[in-house]
Amino acid sequence: MTVFNTFLKILNKNKFIIIMYTVILITFAGFNMKTSDNRLSFVSSKPDVLVINNDENIGLTKDLIEYINKNTNIIDIEDKKDNINDALFYREVNYIIYIPKNYRKDFLNGLNPKLKIKTTGDYQASLAEIILSRYIKLANIYLNINNNEDEIIKNINETLKSKTNISVTSKLDTNNLSKATYYYNFANYSILAGCVYVICLILSSFREEKIRKRTVISSTNMRKYNRCLMLSNSLLAIFLWLFYVLLSFIIVGNIMFSIHGLLYIINSFIFTICALSLAFLIGNIITNKNAINGIVNVVSLGSSFLCGAFVPIEYIPNSVLLIAHIFPSYWYIQNNEIIKTLEVVNIDTLKVIFINISVIIGFMMLFTIISNIISKRKTKTK
Amino acid sequence: MKNIIEVKNLTKKYKNTKAIDDLSFNVKEGEILGLLGPNGSGKSTTINCILSLLNFDSGIIEIFGKKMNTNAYDIKEKIGVVFQEVAVFNELTVYENIDYFCGLYIKDKIKRKEYIEDAIKLVGLEDFKKYYPKQLSGGLLRRLNIACGIAHKPKLIFLDEPTVAVDPQSRNNILDGIKKLASEGATIVYTTHYMEEVEILCNRVIILDRGKIIASGTNEELKLLTKIEEKVIVEINDLDEKYINDIKKQNNVDSVSYNDNNLVIYFKKGKNNIVSLIEYLKKENIIYNKIYSMVPTLNDVFLELTGKELRD
Repeated sequence: MTVFNTFLKILNKNKFIIIMYTVILITFAGFNMKTSDNRLSFVSSKPDVLVINNDENIGLTKDLIEYINKNTNIIDIEDKKDNINDALFYREVNYIIYIPKNYRKDFLNGLNPKLKIKTTGDYQASLAEIILSRYIKLANIYLNINNNEDEIIKNINETLKSKTNISVTSKLDTNNLSKATYYYNFANYSILAGCVYVICLILSSFREEKIRKRTVISSTNMRKYNRCLMLSNSLLAIFLWLFYVLLSFIIVGNIMFSIHGLLYIINSFIFTICALSLAFLIGNIITNKNAINGIVNVVSLGSSFLCGAFVPIEYIPNSVLLIAHIFPSYWYIQNNEIIKTLEVVNIDTLKVIFINISVIIGFMMLFTIISNIISKRKTKTK
Repeated sequence: MKNIIEVKNLTKKYKNTKAIDDLSFNVKEGEILGLLGPNGSGKSTTINCILSLLNFDSGIIEIFGKKMNTNAYDIKEKIGVVFQEVAVFNELTVYENIDYFCGLYIKDKIKRKEYIEDAIKLVGLEDFKKYYPKQLSGGLLRRLNIACGIAHKPKLIFLDEPTVAVDPQSRNNILDGIKKLASEGATIVYTTHYMEEVEILCNRVIILDRGKIIASGTNEELKLLTKIEEKVIVEINDLDEKYINDIKKQNNVDSVSYNDNNLVIYFKKGKNNIVSLIEYLKKENIIYNKIYSMVPTLNDVFLELTGKELRD
């Protein structure tokens, strides 16, 4: 009890750190969850296109321009080289179509004339290209059947009239799942930083050489003492995890009562235990209290940035994600992302999650083994 | 009186260097034993071996008649240690620190509370119970260090230079506390660099050098070991080398040194040493400010035995 009471007293002295990391979690998770609403809903988009027509505005050319007008945002820019280049550079326009002189005639004569294109090369430009290609391909198809211009225009327009309705058939509550994923991804930082920092600070106090010496010569059984210290730290980590889980019920809401919620909770629990083993490892290596802050920041901030806790994983380059594999955070965040899109929950779909959890457990075992080796070496040096 | 500590043929090597070389001694019940020696003489190594903080190569260590080892918890509960370095939690108050270290021995809360109060009273920290270590002066911090080591009322106490860098007020307080502990029946092993503390406190002294005992006994017994009987100090401004050489040639003079306007003359056993010195100074018209005679101190004994100052 003496060790546990002292542990609590030292923890009380460091409570500000836990409060700080919790406030960071609530602030950033809350803010990002608000801005990430409707992330998975379908929104149609129109690229900005400039058409410079050097042909006569009649027949097929006129119809092509009308089609482009209908499906894109037509931008009006003076036909001067500098103006056009500036517009492309500043993304005022994504796609510029130059229709050459006699385009209509050459097309109807089967000469397959080319349109001159200038593009920003981004996804909006790609969309404009798809729109344009669709018309040209249809025109080519109908030209092969019949070379009457009016017939071709009529057939193209009839084909373009047919529309495909897109609707999301998923029954998943994508909004709330996105929120939960964001919360638990961000919790990666709070658990790592809060848990590792506080545990390392407390351990460094108990394991300070002078204090350790005084404890070793006392009549307290060292095995019991170490067990008590470990248990106290484990309780702290579990308490912290439980607190963040309860907070997720308040912030995220009903989705936490679903099977998805349960999976988030299990995943975060395994990760917390892994963070605990990492805390023991760092606590064993570092005894200088001043160095702990730096080490914890490197570990928690570094792995959170690299593994996608702050930035959605799809925006992170593959080379960075490859490096991220060496951090438990990567596997934890991967699991959160999988849980978000988990349509059907069965053995097959859960298999990937269990594999990732096994990797986290592997990390945990590795940290524990290294920690024990270091601890034994330190004892042997006497 | 029975032996509380018995050390027989203790040897500890660091690679090929013997830190302790076939050391044997014992500490009697109720005794205050002074362990003296220059840095690197093996004092701390000896204490660490006795406390099982260090493995040793050969020898036997028995405390309270039982063999000491890492798991000898029944022996450990009767031992208190005050290390030279202050070993306390910065996050805990004075009271909480003493409570923690006392709690490693005493599980009974009521008894512990009583013991903590006694320890606080002994070192005079009554007004600082709620202070954190960072708020204490160096002297008060040392007193807290002592309180943490002795709060569980041990029968055997190791004090490793507890008064280093301590103000005179705290030093007196600490020495009074140690005397009180001894009067209550505790056996004390005391290491220090301050000879006057040894002379005030210790019943017996062991002088170590290069891991071996070079002398042991009571203060008086040790002083008998030296061939020096008297040390005379004369304050003289600008003394010529010629006079120093003349004094060296006088009867019973063992050695002479002249530093910082102080002429120090060590006389071997003999009579009227100071009288003949005064006569010589008068004859040579040497003007001096003060002249005084001292009996040899433990430091002189130490210097003669080891050839170096205790603080070296």
